[in-house]
Amino acid sequence: MEILHIEDLSFRYPKAERNALSSVSFSVKRGEFIVVCGESGCGKTTLLRLLKSEISPAGDLSGSVKYLGEDSLEIGFVMQDPDSQIVTDTVWHELAFGLENLGLPCDVIRRRVGETACYFGIEELFRRKTDGLSGGQKQLLNLAAVTAMQPKVLILDEPTGQLDPIAASEFIATLSKLNRELGMTVILAEHRLDEVFPIADRVLVMEDGRAVLFDLPEKIGGELMKLGKDHPMLEALPSTVRICGSLGYEEKIPITVREGRDFIENHFGGKKAVLPEKEYIPGDSIAVELKNVFFRYERDLPDILRGTSAKIYAGEIFAILGGNGSGKTTMLNVIGGLLKPYRGKVLVAERPVGAYKGNSLYRQNLAILPQNPRALFVRDTVGADLAEVPEARGVKKSEREALVVSVAKRLKILHLLKKNPFDLSGGEQQKCALAKVLLSEPRIVLLDEPTKGIDASAKRGLSEILSELKSAGVTVIIVTHDTEFAAENADRCALFFDGELIAEDIPQRFFGGNTFYTTAANRIVREVCPNAVTVGQAVGSLANGDTK
Amino acid sequence: MKAFGSFHPAVLLTYFVAIIGIFMFASNPVMRVTALLGGILFCLLLQKKREIPGNLGFYIPLFLLVAVTNPLFSHAGVTPLFFLNGNPVTLEASVYGVFLAVTVIGVMMWCKCYSEIMTGDKFLYLFGSIVPKLSLTLSMAFRFLPLFVRRMKTVTTARRGLGLYSQRGFVDRIKGTGQVFLSVISWSLENAMETSMSMRARAYGKAKRTSFSLFRFTMRDGVMIFVTLLLFALTVTGMASGATDFFFYPRIGELSLSPLAVTAYSSFAILAFLPFVIEVRGALLWRYYISRI
Amino acid sequence: MRKDIIAVFLIVLIVAVLIGGTDIQSVDEYYLTHIDDITPDSETVTLSIRCDTILDNYDDLDPTLRSEEFVPKDGVILPPTEYVLRHGDTAFDILDRATRHNKIQMEYQGEDRTGYGSVYIKGINNLYEYSCGPLSGWIYRVDGEIRNIGCSKDTLRDGQTVEFIYTCDLGRDIGNSTVTEGSDMP
Repeated sequence: MEILHIEDLSFRYPKAERNALSSVSFSVKRGEFIVVCGESGCGKTTLLRLLKSEISPAGDLSGSVKYLGEDSLEIGFVMQDPDSQIVTDTVWHELAFGLENLGLPCDVIRRRVGETACYFGIEELFRRKTDGLSGGQKQLLNLAAVTAMQPKVLILDEPTGQLDPIAASEFIATLSKLNRELGMTVILAEHRLDEVFPIADRVLVMEDGRAVLFDLPEKIGGELMKLGKDHPMLEALPSTVRICGSLGYEEKIPITVREGRDFIENHFGGKKAVLPEKEYIPGDSIAVELKNVFFRYERDLPDILRGTSAKIYAGEIFAILGGNGSGKTTMLNVIGGLLKPYRGKVLVAERPVGAYKGNSLYRQNLAILPQNPRALFVRDTVGADLAEVPEARGVKKSEREALVVSVAKRLKILHLLKKNPFDLSGGEQQKCALAKVLLSEPRIVLLDEPTKGIDASAKRGLSEILSELKSAGVTVIIVTHDTEFAAENADRCALFFDGELIAEDIPQRFFGGNTFYTTAANRIVREVCPNAVTVGQAVGSLANGDTK
Repeated sequence: MKAFGSFHPAVLLTYFVAIIGIFMFASNPVMRVTALLGGILFCLLLQKKREIPGNLGFYIPLFLLVAVTNPLFSHAGVTPLFFLNGNPVTLEASVYGVFLAVTVIGVMMWCKCYSEIMTGDKFLYLFGSIVPKLSLTLSMAFRFLPLFVRRMKTVTTARRGLGLYSQRGFVDRIKGTGQVFLSVISWSLENAMETSMSMRARAYGKAKRTSFSLFRFTMRDGVMIFVTLLLFALTVTGMASGATDFFFYPRIGELSLSPLAVTAYSSFAILAFLPFVIEVRGALLWRYYISRI
Repeated sequence: MRKDIIAVFLIVLIVAVLIGGTDIQSVDEYYLTHIDDITPDSETVTLSIRCDTILDNYDDLDPTLRSEEFVPKDGVILPPTEYVLRHGDTAFDILDRATRHNKIQMEYQGEDRTGYGSVYIKGINNLYEYSCGPLSGWIYRVDGEIRNIGCSKDTLRDGQTVEFIYTCDLGRDIGNSTVTEGSDMP
C-alpha cells in the first residue's frame, strides 16, 4: 500500500537560476526502506524536506507530494548535525519535547518516554545532560526523540555524516531494527552506502535534481553502468558492487561482503594471486619523531599516550587508524604542539616542539586541519577567510590576493571565494579549510578525519590534493577511521592502540595482515588475493586471471 | 543515601522555607540550638566522609571567633566579668556571642543542606511550573551555553593549530578573541535555524504545550508537606503569642516553659530533626533489604 | 574562600586589639576608685543622674528594661551628691568617677571614635540611647543649662551643679528647645 506519492515534482528556490528538483516522480510503499543517494548538491535535502510540510523550504513548486496517512505529523525527520537538532538540556526532556508539543498529558508522556528509552537502550543516559553525550549518542537521541512521537514514516538526511564508522553502524542498525520490527517506513539519504545497501528495499539515485534511478539495490550497479561507464556515482557504491560490477557482471550484482565472497568463490575459486608489492623506500630525513611520549589530560586520568614512539619521514603520507576514542586526535594535537606531553620528546623537523618560539612552529612549517572544518571560518566570505592566513604571516597586502587565488586554483575553489563559508556543502567546506591550511605553506600537514561527512567525489578530490602535496614534498599525517581512504592514499599505515602506534607498514601488508581491521575490498577477495586491499587492486588481481 | 532528597521539589522548598524562616525569626536559644543540631546531623549524612575533618577545621574556629567577637564590641549587660580598656566585658554579651555563633553556623549548615538537596533542576522545575514558557526557555538556554563554550574552544584550538593567533600583545589578542566570538555567534545563528526546524518537525507550536517533568507528587509527598506545615503552624503560634520570646540584655531573661512554649519547642525540634530521621530510616531500611538478599 | 572568612575575622580581632590595647582589669579593680574626701578647702561640684522622663513615656520603653532595677520608681539613679573637683576635671571625669564609685553601669564611646573629639555617653545603668523611643538618649546640664559641647570637653568650676538626664524627646521634654536632632549630645 502506498504511503507517499510524489508526482512530477519540480522546485526552484527564490532567485535561483535553475531548478533544485525537476520532475521527480516516485512512490513509497508502507514499510519500505528507501535509500536516497547522489552527489552533494543533487537535491537530496530539498526533496526530503519537501516530503514534510512543516519544514518545507519556500519557493516555486509544481507537481505534487501526497502523504496518504492521516497527518503530516506522522512523519519524523532527522538531520545531519547531531548538535543543532537537540533543543533541551537533558536527555529526558529532549525525549519528551515532541510529546509536550502535542499537548499530551504527563502520564502518557512518562510512559512513551520510558518505552522509547528502553527500546533504544539509552536508559543509562536518561538523566544525563545532552551536552555531555558523544556524537553517536546525540544522534541516537535525536532519532529516539522523533520516534517517541510514534511516526509512521522516518525521513533522515545524512544522519551519519558527522559520526565515526562504529557509531554510524550502530545508528544504521537501530534504523533497520525500527524498520523490521515496527514496520516504520524509512527514507534515508546517505553517502556511505556499504552498510545501507544490504538493508534497503529500493534505492533512489539522484543527479542534478532529477531522479535518475529508482530500483532494487542489486540492480543499481548495472543500471548506473548503463548510464555511463564512468558515472560519478559509481565510486560511491559499496565495494562489493564496484568489484563485481567492474568484473563485467551486470545482472543481479551482490551487495553484501558475504555475497561478494560467494560470487568470487563461484567465479574465481581455486585461483591464487599475489599482487607484486610496491617497494616503498622512505626519504632520509625525518619530519616528525615521537620518542617515548606520555600524555594525559589530568593528573587523575589515565594515560592517553603511553610511551608512544614513531618516525614519520619527510614527504610521505602516513595514516593513523584506530578505534573510537583511542586517542588518535590527542596524538595529532601532541604532534601539533597544541598539547604538551608530560614525558618524552616530540621532534618536528628534528627540533623539539618546545624549542619553537611563539608561533614559529606554524610558520611555513606545520599546520593542522581540525576535524570540523567549520571551526576555521570566522569571516563573511571564503576569500576574506583565506586572506587571513597570509595577513597573519605578515605578507604585504598587494601580494595576499595573488597567493589566495593561486591556492584556490590548485584546489579548484575559485568559484567559492565570494561565498559565505557557512553556505557551502561539507565537501566544499573541507576544501576551503584545506586551502586555509595550505596558505600557511606548511611542510607538514596534519589532517584530523578529513573524510568525515564528505561524499565520494569530494573524497576523490581530496585524494588528488594529497598526491599533489606529496609530489611537492609535503609530509601528510592523516588520522582517520576510513580504511578505504587510507588504503588508497597512504604510503604507510599504523594502528593506534592502547596508547601506542603498532603494526606500521605499507597499506598492502598492513591491511593484508589484519583480519578484522581491514577494507571491505580485502575482505571480499582475501581468499583469492590476500594482499589486494583497494577496489582497484582487487579488480586488477582478478581481471588478469582466468575465470572458471 | 538521599531519602530526603527524593521528595517532590515543592515539598523540599516548603520545608526549607519553613525551617530557615523560623530559624531567622525565633530568637530563642532552645530553638536555635535544636536547629543547629538538626542541621549538623543532616549535613553529616549528606557529605562525604573525607570532607568532615576539613569542615570541622572551618566551622569550629568560625564558631569561636564569632562567639568571642561580640563581647569585645558590645558592652551592654548588668554582669561585668572583667573590664577591657575601661569597658566591661559582660556575661550577657558573652552568652549572646555564643548565641550569635550558633545562629551563624546554623544558617550556614542549613544553607549547605539546601544547596545539596535543592539541585538546579529541582529549582528550575519549580520556577518552570509557574511559567511553563520560561521552563522551556531556560532548558534551551542551558542547552545552548555549554555548546557555545565548546565551540569557542574548538575554534580557538583550530586557529592555534594554524598559528592564527597573535603574540603581539593585548589589543591584538582582544581583537582575535572578538573575531572568534563573532564567528561562533554566526555559527550559532545558523545552528538556530536548524534547531527551529527540528522543533517544527516535532510539532512545536501545533497544540497547547504540556510541561512534562520527572518529578511526581505522591502520597508520600502529601504526608510530608502536611507534617511540615502542621509543625510550622504550631511553632509559629508559639512564636506569635510571645511565649518563645527571650532576652539577653540587659540581664539574661528566663526561658518560658509555658505549655505554648513547650509545644513550639518540641514541634520545631521535630521539624529540625525530620530530615535526619528520614535519612537514617532510609539507610537502615536499605541495609535491611541488603541483608535479606 | 573558607580560609578567607576565618582570616577576615582574625584580622578584625587583631586590629581591635592593636588599637584598643589589652588593659584587662577585674571588676573590683575597675570599681575601686579613689574618691577624695571633702575638706573645707576642696573645690566641689554636685552630680546627679536622673531618668524621670522615662516614667512619662513608659510605653516606649524597651520591654526588657521595664524593671525598677533600671528605672527606679522616682527616676533617680544617683541623687545629687558632692564630689571633689580635681584640677581640670571635665563633666565626663566626674561622671566616670561617680559611676565607678557607685558601681553604676556606664558605657561610652571614646574620644577617638566619635568623630567630634569628645566622649559620647551611650548608656548609663543599662539605659541606652534609643532605649525609650527613637529620640531618646543621655544629655547633661550644668547649672540648669543644657550644654551643647561634649562632656569630656567641658571643664568644670567650683560649685557647679551637673545633671545627667535621660531624655525621650531630644531634650524638649526637659525644657530645652535649642537641641536639635543631629547636634552633639553629651
